[in-house]
Amino acid sequence: MPADGLGPELLTLAQLLLNGLALGAAYALVALGFVLVLNATGAVNFAQGDMVMLGGYAAVALGHLLPGAGLLLLPLVMLAMAVFGLLFSALAWRPFRHRPPIFGLLATVALGLTLQEAMNALEGAAPQAGPAFVGTGEIRLGPLGLPRAALGIVIACLVLGLAQGWLLGRTQFGRRLRASAQDPVTARALGLPVDRLIAASFALATALAGAVGLLLSGPYFVTPTAGNDLILRAYIAATIGGWGSLKGAVAGALMIALFESVVAGYASSVVATASLYGAVLLLLAVRPAGLFPAPLGRRA
Amino acid sequence: MRRFFRPAPLVALAILAWLLGVLLVGSGYEQRLMAVAAAYALMAIGYHLVFGQAGALSLAQGACFAIGAYAAGILGGRMGWPLWAEFPAAILLPAVLAAVAHRPVRRLGGHYFALATLGFAVLVRLVAVDAQDLTGGANGLVGVPPLPVAVLGLARGPGMMLIGWGLAGLGAALAVWLTRGNGPALALVRADPGLARASGLDPERIRAQGFVWAAGFAGAGGALYAHVLGLVSPDTAEFSVMIGCLAMVVIGGRHSIAGAVLGALLIGHLPEWLRPLGASYRIAYGLGLFACLLVAPAGLIGSLERFRPARSYAVAPEPLPRVDVPRSALRITAARKAYGGLAVLHDVSLDIRPGEILGLIGPNGSGKTTLINGISGLDRLNQGTIMLGDARLDGLSPDRVALAGVARSFQSVAVDDGLAPLELVTAALTAKGGRAGFGRTPAIEALRQRAAGLLRRVGIGDPAATDSGTLRLADIARALALDPAVLLLDEPAAGLDAAERDRLAALLCTLAAEGRALLVVEHDMVFLMGLADRVAVLLDGRIALVGTAAEVRADPAVRAAYLGPAPC
Repeated sequence: MPADGLGPELLTLAQLLLNGLALGAAYALVALGFVLVLNATGAVNFAQGDMVMLGGYAAVALGHLLPGAGLLLLPLVMLAMAVFGLLFSALAWRPFRHRPPIFGLLATVALGLTLQEAMNALEGAAPQAGPAFVGTGEIRLGPLGLPRAALGIVIACLVLGLAQGWLLGRTQFGRRLRASAQDPVTARALGLPVDRLIAASFALATALAGAVGLLLSGPYFVTPTAGNDLILRAYIAATIGGWGSLKGAVAGALMIALFESVVAGYASSVVATASLYGAVLLLLAVRPAGLFPAPLGRRA
Repeated sequence: MRRFFRPAPLVALAILAWLLGVLLVGSGYEQRLMAVAAAYALMAIGYHLVFGQAGALSLAQGACFAIGAYAAGILGGRMGWPLWAEFPAAILLPAVLAAVAHRPVRRLGGHYFALATLGFAVLVRLVAVDAQDLTGGANGLVGVPPLPVAVLGLARGPGMMLIGWGLAGLGAALAVWLTRGNGPALALVRADPGLARASGLDPERIRAQGFVWAAGFAGAGGALYAHVLGLVSPDTAEFSVMIGCLAMVVIGGRHSIAGAVLGALLIGHLPEWLRPLGASYRIAYGLGLFACLLVAPAGLIGSLERFRPARSYAVAPEPLPRVDVPRSALRITAARKAYGGLAVLHDVSLDIRPGEILGLIGPNGSGKTTLINGISGLDRLNQGTIMLGDARLDGLSPDRVALAGVARSFQSVAVDDGLAPLELVTAALTAKGGRAGFGRTPAIEALRQRAAGLLRRVGIGDPAATDSGTLRLADIARALALDPAVLLLDEPAAGLDAAERDRLAALLCTLAAEGRALLVVEHDMVFLMGLADRVAVLLDGRIALVGTAAEVRADPAVRAAYLGPAPC
């Protein structure tokens, strides 16, 4: 037994929890973007995971273009993805804004598939490694070896999550965004540029997805279909967190990732995925409104 | 004109011509491709039932296709079951699994249903890839026996194609039988499940039926696919199969069987037509699906339908059948409803007698709509009983309440998808005829005639109009289609002009004279006071007074509630 009394089982658990936390933080940013667009448009954005994939490839390209850019990559990728988000909203939301939400969902399915296949044609299906954003290796903390990549993900997501909270909660822009999401008709009557605010929601959501793409491309590589698992988890996080709740989505994302990491660590990743979906089906059956139901009167 | 231009039969003819051409002069390869397209067609026809007809976004259709394929591979290939046993098993297995998986989430609609079915699909894929002993894992299964073409005395290519399209034809015929005459009811379930429920339809049951039938069709398609290819690969369980299926149904036209078949043929041939693109042909799925959503949201068939002139129903006003049985009184006893800690109704007791018009007034927030929601089953009361004659209604679902004889109208009616009044009323008439759903075939043209008569009776001349006044009256016609003993009307006169209002008042008097009991919530006092036999006043969730119009006008508490307390 090591000198400070931490048993090997406890060490393993700590590592698993850190990995889970890192994945959970990444899932949480994806889920935040998912719910942002959901609240703004009332429609599910099925391409949110593919935005992460695209952000990953953007990170790979920028990493080659600007070797040694380090932390500077984060704002660059996010900016590029925000611009792409504007373009995406013009295609996936604007033409369908007067139709039932199912059309928006189908449009994002169609565009997401197009993106996946386009990247498959351009880059091939083989996994590509992104730039080592915060370096590789471990930071030793007593008996614990903390992977730099995981720590970097946790810290970057924490910063971005707080920044997003500040943006939505404390700025005029954020107030307008929330107002137009809550009641577009009234917001329009008050003179808010609702259409532009919705486009901004897409830009913000896509920038967050791009950041996750950069963060995950280092330790986990990027493939054209990498987004599929992420959109599923964002979808589940938004559902168990209470449809439309930002905080609930973050909590849901963390729970999913910790659950998966721990079960995968002690059993296998197949068991983890299977039991995750089993648990979700069970949860939908007993608590259809999620673990943290939104307050009464919230839009579904 | 209308008779000669019906898109679905024309497209079906074109498809038959295409199939015949390939059968007679096509190469063996083309015929095999056609047999694969038949498997897709079965999957797409099934998906059109759950998605296009019942309006539920299932994402498990691809998974059910995979279950069918693996069932054929395991039972027929590995265990050597004969075709006559293995093929039905491949249909039943996904249908039973779908029924079981649907049980816990049957109450969920919309996005939750999509997620639940997606979870189901992920689990199926996990089994396909990871349960190596059962499914062969990444290698899949080989040695699925070929279709018995020799028994039929056919060559391999034409034989596979004939068997495949024979099955697809049977499937199409079954789907025609399942949906025939149910168009308006299904359209209402898709457009507004709440309104459908109030019209006596059961959206949960209809969605469940659609889901299970769809799974069976997908199982048949998957088994056919496995037999045509002679193997099962884990790619069958990938999500791209599901997206392909979605693309088939949306591009072909999601409300039409011919559309689903057309979509399956087009998508099935896409890899061949786009061979220069190699594996990237699926970009064309994505772009084609997107372009179709953009320019032809109703799909190819739906776009053709638009050129078809609507049929006119010139009919006399429907004299509703005079019912001989005595109409019953509605008795509400000690009804209580609270949202969280906020009590909205306290011990409300009220009788509505046959043949009377009972007005219900009260300031905004006094609980009028909550009371109507409670009676009609939309909200569950916390306490209290509701009796119609000897039948107890509290605790029943809204569709059962509606069929039991208590129909309601809504304060605001906005039906998505442009459901015309004629279809709305026809849907309610379908429900009245018995438990509407797949496979029940109402005499739809006769019902449409009656619906046009009901619309004429409430004062609507053009059964295709969708302005707000018309929709409001149409909602009353929809409630009347249930031939209710009790009619609950939530602000029926709001938004009507003077002439429409007079006609409405005359209509309500006739309905009461037929022995129906009417509860009318209304803010227009001139309208209501002239009409109502008795008026009940609801103040802060309590019945403050029941009396004649004159008594209510004179009551100080009512005056205080409406005009403010007297200054001295």
